[in-house]
Amino acid sequence: MIKKLILAIALLYSGYLAAQIKVTMVLSGRPPANLAEWANRKDVLTFIMGESGGQRFEVKIKTEIKTLDGTVIGSTNLNTARSFSPLPAGSTILGALDVLPLDNLVFTGKYLSAMQKTGKLPADNYMLCVQLLRLPDYAPASDPVCKNFYLAAYQLPILMVPANEQELNAKVAQTAIIFRWTPVVPASTTPVTYHIQVFEILENQHDVQALRSNQPLLDKNIIGATQFIWQPQISMMPYSNEKDSISTIQGKVRDGNTQGKKFIWTIQTLDNAGQPLNQTEGNGESRSEPHVFYVK
Amino acid sequence: MLRKKHIAICLLITSSIATAQTADKKFSVSGTMGVTYEGYGLNRNPAGWTGYTARRPWNQVRFSFMPNFQFGKDFSLPFNINLAALPTNFAGPFSGFIPGGPKQNFKQWITNPINSIAVNPTYKWAELQLGTQYLKYSELSTGDIGIFGAGFDLRPKTYRIKFFTGTSQPGINYFTGPPLITGAFKRSNWMFQIGREREGKYEVAFNFAKGKDFINSSAPPPLSIKPQEGFIASLVTNVFFDKGWYLKLEGAQSTFTKDLTTPYTPLIKSFEPFIKSHTSTTRDYAGTGSIGKKGKNFDLGVSTKYLGAGFQTAGYPYLQPDRLDYTVNTKWNTWKNKSNIYRMNIVASLGQRVNNISNTTLSAKQLIGNLNWFTQFNDQWSLNVNYNNFGFQSASGLNPYGIKNVSNDLGFNPTYTWSNSKMLNMLSFSYNYSKYDERDVLTGLTTGNNTHTALLTYVPTYFTKELTPDFSVMYFSNDVLLAKTTLVTISSGLGMPVAKKKLQLRGQLQYNLVKLNTFKNDNNLIASFSVDWKISKQFSWNTYLSTNYFKYGNSIIPNGANYLETTCRTGFRYKFDTKKK
Repeated sequence: MIKKLILAIALLYSGYLAAQIKVTMVLSGRPPANLAEWANRKDVLTFIMGESGGQRFEVKIKTEIKTLDGTVIGSTNLNTARSFSPLPAGSTILGALDVLPLDNLVFTGKYLSAMQKTGKLPADNYMLCVQLLRLPDYAPASDPVCKNFYLAAYQLPILMVPANEQELNAKVAQTAIIFRWTPVVPASTTPVTYHIQVFEILENQHDVQALRSNQPLLDKNIIGATQFIWQPQISMMPYSNEKDSISTIQGKVRDGNTQGKKFIWTIQTLDNAGQPLNQTEGNGESRSEPHVFYVK
Repeated sequence: MLRKKHIAICLLITSSIATAQTADKKFSVSGTMGVTYEGYGLNRNPAGWTGYTARRPWNQVRFSFMPNFQFGKDFSLPFNINLAALPTNFAGPFSGFIPGGPKQNFKQWITNPINSIAVNPTYKWAELQLGTQYLKYSELSTGDIGIFGAGFDLRPKTYRIKFFTGTSQPGINYFTGPPLITGAFKRSNWMFQIGREREGKYEVAFNFAKGKDFINSSAPPPLSIKPQEGFIASLVTNVFFDKGWYLKLEGAQSTFTKDLTTPYTPLIKSFEPFIKSHTSTTRDYAGTGSIGKKGKNFDLGVSTKYLGAGFQTAGYPYLQPDRLDYTVNTKWNTWKNKSNIYRMNIVASLGQRVNNISNTTLSAKQLIGNLNWFTQFNDQWSLNVNYNNFGFQSASGLNPYGIKNVSNDLGFNPTYTWSNSKMLNMLSFSYNYSKYDERDVLTGLTTGNNTHTALLTYVPTYFTKELTPDFSVMYFSNDVLLAKTTLVTISSGLGMPVAKKKLQLRGQLQYNLVKLNTFKNDNNLIASFSVDWKISKQFSWNTYLSTNYFKYGNSIIPNGANYLETTCRTGFRYKFDTKKK
């Protein structure tokens, strides 16, 4: 009797071993801070599900995000998770959309709040653990595979000098204007390029309208540094001596004094490939909030 | 169906306004119209050298038509039409439409921010808004974008009811170029405000604004930009008390989907029926508040602004969230002279900006301080002192040292004025010292960057002549590791009326000497000239010419490279000034 029992257990165990699927995960060490963006970037996460050894069965992916001390802060809801059928012979390649389905990933505590408010987790080191579970009993169908990653959102530069609405002396400004801004935080692993642009705001134009419609008077890429001294080589003499006391813009009275000139400037932050550093945040152009300044 | 309803409502309002205005026959026109040509030239030497690029369109013509037709005292018809012959878009959704590039279709032309066509018929408290409108409902909801569409602004008694709907950008196809066109999804917007206001007493208003992209509106679609959708609700409360005290508050909640192609999720609360959550949706808060007192000679105020990390609105596309600003500012007039006029004016502010309230990036703090102190000692002497400080500090991720940038600017500007029976003379000197320290995150070493600027200006004013000359000399020096730049500028201007003041002439000549390290000097000459010809009381012709010649020494290759840049701007302007009974 005991022999028969041992034999049965051995048979079951060998069947279980045969059903174990080999899995491999490749995860970027510094993925985008916005978790929804992982699915758009093929270089972020690749999960390879090996063959099922000739057997036909279904599995679900159990995904957990943990802090480095092992605390689980988010995991998939297995009841509503999508099921997959490993190929009897051959591997299946999956991406972030399958492994990290945000519509089925339940976060806890402050991490839930952070995800709902920002789409990101607090800046820190994390671990992503993935395991296949066999249906219908959720028995392990693979060993868990874990990878560490670091998350921190990029904070775009903030314009410092000239300050917003600052008035510059025309005699000084037509020789040199100093621009300063804060660096990207955290410092990028590769040098970033700060693309500085200055636009003149023409008569009857709104500030952002000028930025979106005029040719920039200054259009320069600056690598690494956070200061630029511009020699405008522009006469700051007004276009006309005529004072336009009042002009109407959409029925509202607006100061249309043509004396002096008004400019708007901004910084666009580019990565080492010349692409906007953060394409899914804000305006998608990685352009910092512009400032205007006057030259009188 | 909705569009037909909008058109019907517009027609009804317009026809009622048109009927109403016939009762009062007073008619007047104010405002301006004009046409301006801008020409630009650039000549670089030696041939084939591309070290300096054009920075204005070669040719541009701008038309403006902005009359305000006033029919009686109750009905007005203001137009705001500003058109440019060529698109020159280098930033934003239209970026890539430049002279020589792809042609715009009609929808793209009419919604391109370089053009605006608007008319706002107004009858008493009812204003109809048609065409391109830049409407600011509040500081947090909407205000920075132009939308082509239709809406109204109704202000019966103390009530405020506003609505506007339209397109802020059409679908723009991605184009590999050159010139590269990033492309854009068509975005439709609407906004609504309801509230009450008594000018100078109080204002309470709810604002709602939405922007939504259409996924299939461009083919091929933009490569990097995702279709988005955002909805915002805000409440504005402003109260103005006696003796100049005021309290201003705004609270807002935004629900913003960064990528409409991501799946829907029940895990993030939707704001239905206005917006349904996707996995890329964020929902966050923002608030602004200020309290203070405004007086004739003394102002004191405290203001604060909080923007949550997930706060985003289609109405302010360049808003940088995740920050808390708080500032104390004051303005103070003191020290009266014998005529009871204040001699001293002080304007100061001190504040801090804290980034990363959400902790999704590394913490960063900025200290911001400004002081401007003006004193008129007597009829001859005055002194202005200003000081600005910006400090920025943050950890820098995996690097061994944190980021620390500090900018300090200190300026003195004494002015001496004297006069005799023929003229008034003003001699002004200003000196500014600017220090910018930047810490290297790898080595921990701080790089100093010092700038000295000195400017001497002399302005004589003749009592009996119409000449208005000015003279100035400037010295500028910037010293940073491995680079020392020195600039010396001499400039002079002259203005005078001729032909019985019908012609106003003004000219300016400026010479700059530029020296970088031990390289040979660069030389720069800028000359500009303007003529304003008042042909009649209403009609004027304004011309502006400017030329810029720059010759490098040996600081770049090829040595002696130079360029000549010319700008010409000439235009006619007609001022409407008709009053008929």
